[in-house]
Amino acid sequence: MPDGALPVLDVRDLKTVFRTRGGEVHAVNDVSFSLKPGELLGVVGESGSGKSVTMMSLLGLLPSPPADVRNGSVNFDGKDLLHVSPETLRSIRGGKIGFVFQDPMTSLNPVYTVGYQIAEPLRKHMGMNKRQAAVRSQELLELVGIPDAKQRLDDYPHQFSGGMRQRVMIAIALACDPKVLIADEPTTALDVTIQAQILELMKDLRDKLGMAVIWITHDLGVIAGIADRVMVMYGGQVVEHAPVHALFSDPQHPYTRALLKTIPTIQGERAARLTIIEGQPPIMTGPPIACPFRDRCDVAFDRCEVHNPLRYDLGDGHDVACFYDARTGGPRDV
Amino acid sequence: MFDEVKKPLVSVRDLKMHFPIYAGLLRRRVGEVKAVDGVSFDVMEGETLGLVGESGCGKSTCGRAVLRLYDITSGSIQIDNREIGPTPQSQLRSMRPTMQMVFQDPQASLNPRMTVEDIIKEPLDEHTKGTDAEKREKVGELMDAVGLNRKFAKRYPHAFSGGQRQRIGIARALALNPKFIVCDEPIAALDVSIQAQVVNLLEDLQEQFGLTYLFISHDLSMVRHIATRVAVMYLGKIVELAPREALYADPLHPYTKALLSAVPEPDPSLARATERIILQGDVPSPSNPPKGCNFCTRCPSVMDICKDVEPDYREVRPGRFTACHLYNETTDAADATAGHEAEEHTT
Repeated sequence: MPDGALPVLDVRDLKTVFRTRGGEVHAVNDVSFSLKPGELLGVVGESGSGKSVTMMSLLGLLPSPPADVRNGSVNFDGKDLLHVSPETLRSIRGGKIGFVFQDPMTSLNPVYTVGYQIAEPLRKHMGMNKRQAAVRSQELLELVGIPDAKQRLDDYPHQFSGGMRQRVMIAIALACDPKVLIADEPTTALDVTIQAQILELMKDLRDKLGMAVIWITHDLGVIAGIADRVMVMYGGQVVEHAPVHALFSDPQHPYTRALLKTIPTIQGERAARLTIIEGQPPIMTGPPIACPFRDRCDVAFDRCEVHNPLRYDLGDGHDVACFYDARTGGPRDV
Repeated sequence: MFDEVKKPLVSVRDLKMHFPIYAGLLRRRVGEVKAVDGVSFDVMEGETLGLVGESGCGKSTCGRAVLRLYDITSGSIQIDNREIGPTPQSQLRSMRPTMQMVFQDPQASLNPRMTVEDIIKEPLDEHTKGTDAEKREKVGELMDAVGLNRKFAKRYPHAFSGGQRQRIGIARALALNPKFIVCDEPIAALDVSIQAQVVNLLEDLQEQFGLTYLFISHDLSMVRHIATRVAVMYLGKIVELAPREALYADPLHPYTKALLSAVPEPDPSLARATERIILQGDVPSPSNPPKGCNFCTRCPSVMDICKDVEPDYREVRPGRFTACHLYNETTDAADATAGHEAEEHTT
């Protein structure tokens, strides 16, 4: 991880609200993070924790209404992406910022050939003609490890397997040499052996191309193997953020600690009984004025009911949003 | 584990489930998808047999076929000493109470227009006699058993979260006091923190009611937690079956080795230190499986014989079954000759 380099992407106090009939849903609440060149940031959280909505808000991909990106700044390439014209945003999406979605079946257009879909960003963003784009498309398919790339350009998505389709999605995202690649649960729909292939491929590509990657997942195992830094989200907020080794060896937030205990492993001691996190994920209607994890937390106390904790810096790039100090075993001095 | 000799509650022998493919103007039968192609296993009373494999390997089809939700192509299935392989569907109905199923998607397997009470009561209406009040009381008991508040009995499935819906599905499966439950990916659609709740519930219920599970899952770490023995499927066949600890500590079949090494380890130092076996390519189509061993197209330790002769599924060590030529000491001589023949064919 290159230290001291200026971040390629810097997100500050991002806040996204969905207006619904049942009231406002605070899906993303004051999320801040930055990404350095060549770095892989893992974002972990359960469904509804706001991880995908965060990424979609910063790229302007959410339909408004009902979504309303209410506050914050997203600095990329000297611009604030929340305050640029839709045209500029469109030229950045798929150009300097690539995006890989979760489900490779629904995110490829079934009526166009794979070759056409890879060439599309090349022709739009890079101004290539048909022939140049075809040559580059073939290179990209080879880069992501699809055999017989030249022939396969004329195939349609349904002729590819799930893992191969996800490789095609990655090829499209990489088409214009992005500085940042946002991968939203790119391996969740895939089998473990195919997932292992894609993870190896991503590590290779990152080293080769030097791009920064945001990897969204709910699988802590995937994060452990691939990320440099990890951001844990819960209830639309960042609850803990740390370098990957620190997060797993010294987790500070009660949610992170519970989550790490919940998952069974295939190595080491087998627990007689799984530790569970009691209760249900929070319903995020109403303003976030208390800690979102308080109802399921085993160390919650009165302050957690009335204040929402800020992210307290613990040094070494580790911060946690919790009033309870796991290191001293008592309330944090704030 | 226990010294008493356990007897199998479920015995499956050479189960085949082939789905026909029709094509052309006359809809002729042009082939078949061999979703389950000769599978044999026992599930002992009170145990949990984990059935793992990647999507498309036939594990769900196998689970459904064992309960005769399909008309199977061939094979024998004995549940509780009754042969149900060739039994017509009309007679199966009376045997349904002993064998139940929990489905993967709690959203799709609950009727959105029935209340929770009606959903759980339906099997009781179908198979038991008794007054409505008695049945309602039973529904209440079932809801207690799976940790649902009785007050929610009149609500509809949409009012529940994913984990709670899965509890409704489990309560319905329990309604008729079954002996054997097939759990088809019961936790795949749930969040990590909710998965543990449902798995613990299944374990509690097993102890409380003496249930036997066939637990189908692609999550190898969860199967390690819940299963007594584990069967690994690949392309319609069981490639390895072994007691849990033996399988995870010392997998025999090359596919099991690759599968276990591909599971992401939630510990960065371990995750980066383990040597992964990255399998090349994809699973072949079950309508056109390769000649010889099904795994020969991706196997890192493939031999000539594998491309020619299908390995037998047999007990290579006490309690450990596998189908792989690597463990065929008896056929070493045959191996060499078959290898030569294969070479001659290719040249």
